Amino acid sequence: MLNKILGIASIISIALVGYLVFFWAPIESSMGIVQKIMYIHVPSIWLTFLALFIAFLCSIGYLWKRAEIYDVVALCMVEIGVIFCGITLITGSIWAKPTWNTYWTWDARLTTTLILFLIFVGYLLLRKFMDYGEQQARFAAVVGIIGFLDVPLIHQSVTWWRTLHQPSTVFSTKKNVIDTPLLVMLLLSLLAFSFLLAFIASKRIELELKSRKFQKQIANLPQDHH
Amino acid sequence: MLSEIWTIFIKDLRLDLRRMENFFSMFFFSVIILLVFAFAMPADKDSHIIFAPGTFWVTFLLSGILSLNKSFQLEKENACMESLLISPISRGSIFLGKLFGNIIFIMIIQCLIIPLFSLFFYSGFLDHFFSLMLLSVISAVGFSSLGTLLSGLTTDLRFKEILLPILLFPLLIPLLLASVRIMQGILIGEGFSGELDWLKLLIGFDLIFLIISYLIFDFVAEM
Repeated sequence: MLNKILGIASIISIALVGYLVFFWAPIESSMGIVQKIMYIHVPSIWLTFLALFIAFLCSIGYLWKRAEIYDVVALCMVEIGVIFCGITLITGSIWAKPTWNTYWTWDARLTTTLILFLIFVGYLLLRKFMDYGEQQARFAAVVGIIGFLDVPLIHQSVTWWRTLHQPSTVFSTKKNVIDTPLLVMLLLSLLAFSFLLAFIASKRIELELKSRKFQKQIANLPQDHH
Repeated sequence: MLSEIWTIFIKDLRLDLRRMENFFSMFFFSVIILLVFAFAMPADKDSHIIFAPGTFWVTFLLSGILSLNKSFQLEKENACMESLLISPISRGSIFLGKLFGNIIFIMIIQCLIIPLFSLFFYSGFLDHFFSLMLLSVISAVGFSSLGTLLSGLTTDLRFKEILLPILLFPLLIPLLLASVRIMQGILIGEGFSGELDWLKLLIGFDLIFLIISYLIFDFVAEM
């Protein structure tokens, strides 16, 4: 039921945002029409961090309480986080070509995002290389925790290394860096993407729970002797 | 607790000294990587100096992985890991013993590699030897903390040789960047004073991951 509501909400809100982005939001003066990709790019990275933060909390929760649901949520959140992180990297590249005249540059945030992506791809590979079970959950939680804790250090080091990215517009302390209609549009698309995240997460968690139940049933079947 | 750590450390060191194959394979592997880099680079002295820090730390990471891979490999034979875990030694002590083993092992290799390295990449045989050794110790602490933890985690897995670097190297990016930058400072004669911010970052990284790995190792080494 919750699934359905979230699904319908995300379809409607994404369609609405898609319409508003092109027919209501003004065209940004210096970057032109290209800037519209911001409405995918920025919500994606925020949701990446949200998903990975939830995964981090659930990893701690798993090691503490040892309830399987924490492990399921952590796995699903990392999967979603990796997908949104990939979307961020791809849309970022597309946006960078017309504005910076290059698809890729070793700027601090790009580099941090790429490393973040690699760390959590490693997390998913670790899960793939292990048999399903309590040990897999424990090890994945360990990697989830140290991976997330490493992110501030990585960000600090690559910032000192070199930087080019425009500073974060919305969290900037200077006033009037972003026009109000653009900001409203950005927050609307963030809302739409959040519905999508919640919808995918609830579907994925449901699927994972079913698949684990099934695997446990198979494991408990009496062995066939030929 | 110190005596427990010492016991684990001495046990590992003794085993390593009895069969020297780990030591020799790691040493010659490092030499070969240095050689490959020397061939892959432009031949003039100037570019050697520019590429030297990067080369040095890539060699450090790649040969360090060998030390980490063997760290828990020994315990797989004859169910040694299980015996270690039921022995009256805390998990933290096992971790610290292994960690010091790895650090010492890496430092012995570095002792031999640094003179060779300076011979290959800039003329002086023992130029900057002590500052580079000190820097290697500081980096080895952070490298081995995360490395020992993850090597304990990957020992039983399929494809562990490939999974360990995949998990470890992205996490080590701050350490790598800091070490390369500090080494540049050392090579141009500034010593450690030129890159104090990076040194602080490096030491911070060491402390953070030493403590976290020590605390979290309990969960890796459950039976």
